[in-house]
Amino acid sequence: MADRIMFRFWTITDYEKEERFLTEQHRGGWKIKRYVLPGFYLFDRCIPEDVVYRLDFDQAVRGEKLGYLQMYHDFGWEYLFDVNGFSYFRRPAGDLEEDMEIFSDNESRLEMVQRIFKRRMIPLLCIFLCCLVPQLFIQYFSWMEWGHVSSKVLTIIFCVLFVIYLCLFIHCGIGIRRLKEKYEKNFGKE
Amino acid sequence: MYFILIYRIEIYRAEMYEGKIREERGEGMTDRIKRVYIPMTETGFYILYSLQNEMHGYNIGQQVKQMTGGEVTISPGTMYGTLSKMEKDGLIRFVREEEKRKLYVITELGREILEIELHRIERLYQNSKGAFVYGR
Repeated sequence: MADRIMFRFWTITDYEKEERFLTEQHRGGWKIKRYVLPGFYLFDRCIPEDVVYRLDFDQAVRGEKLGYLQMYHDFGWEYLFDVNGFSYFRRPAGDLEEDMEIFSDNESRLEMVQRIFKRRMIPLLCIFLCCLVPQLFIQYFSWMEWGHVSSKVLTIIFCVLFVIYLCLFIHCGIGIRRLKEKYEKNFGKE
Repeated sequence: MYFILIYRIEIYRAEMYEGKIREERGEGMTDRIKRVYIPMTETGFYILYSLQNEMHGYNIGQQVKQMTGGEVTISPGTMYGTLSKMEKDGLIRFVREEEKRKLYVITELGREILEIELHRIERLYQNSKGAFVYGR
């Protein structure tokens, strides 16, 4: 069992914040043991240390996960786990700054942003446009026309989902634009 | 916001379509590859250059560090991404596996690309030194 459980929500475009958050926790004597969707963190007590955390998104070629992890292992990264397509890695902070990054140029950082967009945003958009929006209209119409109670309930549920999706899209859209601009214009390191 | 997103998807689709037309016209894959790989990123260049000898990712990283006195380092994410992309595009090929590490070597197409890059860099270097040996 973990020593501490914490709830914190983050989505696909906030992975840099997530890295900083985990580093801060480790500095405060808490190392992450597991992360369970939608946002439960399981921490173990540890000696406070400077440890760098990095997240990579779904890069391994299918069926080659072991080779992919071996590559990171060779370069001195400890693999933790995979959640929602993100692979978590960490290593003790050293004096060589360039060794603390898992990407050495902005091209590969941009590629990661594009991967996130393609594999997370587009499917969500499809669900939103093909299922949620039509259903909302259908249920609303049948509620207005025939006054079914079930339609009323479903309309409310879909309305709530609609708002949640909308917020997510706005948040992620802004996030992706911000990341892209950052990597395109200047050097991506913090 | 979605309009922007949909617009982006449209751009992506248009690019795919353009690629298809280009292939139909018989301009072939190499044109696409030239567009993608020339000019190359510094890491890309060092990786392709190192693969003139059979090697795996970590080896390449070590060699590049040595070659450049530690000025150029290649991180694992970039290394893995570049290797799988180059393999997919046929610039390098997989040779064998050694304890889960994949060894690659350059292909004919890769050599062609490397030649073009070397020429470009040589010209760049000469011109930057004021020796306009390529000028007319």
